[in-house]
Amino acid sequence: MSDFARQQSDFQRGILGGDNAVLAEILDSPREKRETLFGVYRHAYGSRLVEAMRNDHKLLHAYLGDETFDEMGHAYVAAHPSQHPNLRWFSKALPDFLRANEPYSDDPVLSDLAALENALNDAFDAEDAPVLALADLAGLAPEAWADLKFRPHPSAHRLDIATNASAVWLALKGEETPPDAVVREEPCRLLIWRQDVTPMFRELGPEEAMMWDEATNGIPFGVLCAMLATYDDPDGAAARGAGYLHGWVTAGLLTSVSGGK
Amino acid sequence: MNVAGKWPNSAAAAPADIAMPPAKPPFLGFGLGLRAQHYDEILTANPPIDWFEVISENYMLPGGQPLRVLDRICERYPVVMHGVSLSIASTAPPNFEYLQGLRDLAKRVQPKWVSDHLCWTGVHGKNLHDLLPIPYTNEALDHVVNRVQLVQDYLGRAIVLENVSTYVQFNNSEMTEWEFLSELSRRSGCWLLFDVNNVYVSAFNHGYDPHTFLNGIPADRVVQFHMAGHSHMGTHIIDTHDHPVCEDVWDLYVAALRRFGHVSTMIERDDNIPPLDELMVEVNRTRKIAAEVLPPLTRKTG
Repeated sequence: MSDFARQQSDFQRGILGGDNAVLAEILDSPREKRETLFGVYRHAYGSRLVEAMRNDHKLLHAYLGDETFDEMGHAYVAAHPSQHPNLRWFSKALPDFLRANEPYSDDPVLSDLAALENALNDAFDAEDAPVLALADLAGLAPEAWADLKFRPHPSAHRLDIATNASAVWLALKGEETPPDAVVREEPCRLLIWRQDVTPMFRELGPEEAMMWDEATNGIPFGVLCAMLATYDDPDGAAARGAGYLHGWVTAGLLTSVSGGK
Repeated sequence: MNVAGKWPNSAAAAPADIAMPPAKPPFLGFGLGLRAQHYDEILTANPPIDWFEVISENYMLPGGQPLRVLDRICERYPVVMHGVSLSIASTAPPNFEYLQGLRDLAKRVQPKWVSDHLCWTGVHGKNLHDLLPIPYTNEALDHVVNRVQLVQDYLGRAIVLENVSTYVQFNNSEMTEWEFLSELSRRSGCWLLFDVNNVYVSAFNHGYDPHTFLNGIPADRVVQFHMAGHSHMGTHIIDTHDHPVCEDVWDLYVAALRRFGHVSTMIERDDNIPPLDELMVEVNRTRKIAAEVLPPLTRKTG
């Protein structure tokens, strides 16, 4: 290893791990000791990353308060040093961290709230794509519908959470007191996407969630309706399927349709 | 092939399929760092700002509103790209995925130039997201010259590198920072972004005269000035970019204009972002001072 490479290793270890070996290679300034000057880098490292987390998780920050959020943030920084040149992706692993580490794992709403914020951030700058309009479906012959396959907008993402984190999110966003965190009996099935430039989410019922998941797997509309028939009144399955589809199209959730002649 | 080693003398040194800019980036006037807080006002009011500098990483994204806004800004104003993660002085292998992203963004933006900092941001697969200092040794110089040449070959253009604010100096340095920058620019063909505030900060922190730094930089290699604010801690200054430009830095700007002449200048505010009007006052001051210090530009003919 070259001297230059060794110095960089020492410098980085001094910032990440508190190792003082690098102090032997740097100078006091005319006004200040090297420990203090090197401390500027040590302090900036953690505080810059926690600041980035505050920006990406504004509502988790509001929920926890400054002190607890910063303590949590520094614990995450220590556990997950950044490996990506862009800070945008730094808190990608935060939901998993909160789920796996005490005391945060004791309150599962934290992990769900972080996951929801990550999903909304991902929708915000997801790839652009055309948006399917109702007019694109209007000219299709009735017999073509059974074979239709739908392509979701690249910003669309499904997230299942165990808690009432979405209700907590909505309350915090409205600057209201959030409800007590609870683990729900049924998972909360969320659909997150970007409508024009605005990230959105809404909760899906079990039937619509199933249809969305299967539609985005490439299952054609006719089969989707047969699947819906197993959930509720078989005679109303096609109408329910068409209703869900109408909602997806008007929300900008689909990019294209194929397969219908 | 080494584009940079032949830069700027021979445009023919460029690969045929990559458009090379003219020898020296143009004078753009007086600009501002583009920040999301000002998007709406800029797009609705078209403020009289000559050009914008954008943080490259803020737009190295799959899509969405940031890139849409950027496209609209690029239709109206000259734009330059300024990165923080090139890590040109790192001894770790370059991150080619990052370079690909930078090249893709440059293709979309068609910037007047692409800049980053003379620093490193991490080794061993980690990124510290800071502009870390280097020893000014011949070993480091050889290393950085090679890296700059590689990056310039990859991007198909000469890059611009900025002096960073530093808080420590290494005891094995063999030259000054300004000697290092001058030699780096001469050998690699990169241009220099002279951050007036950073010179002031580093000079205070290390106890030298900022004018010595300024006079040690070759006058013909500087293509951009940054003007920014900082936080004074008494025994040292931290480059926070969250305050207005201080009077000492304005004084140093006058000296920089006298040495370097007409150089594209911008106000760089990274934190504690004020309303656009407030930054326009500073932009207008850069313009006014330049008009007082420098002879008017005459349009070239023939």
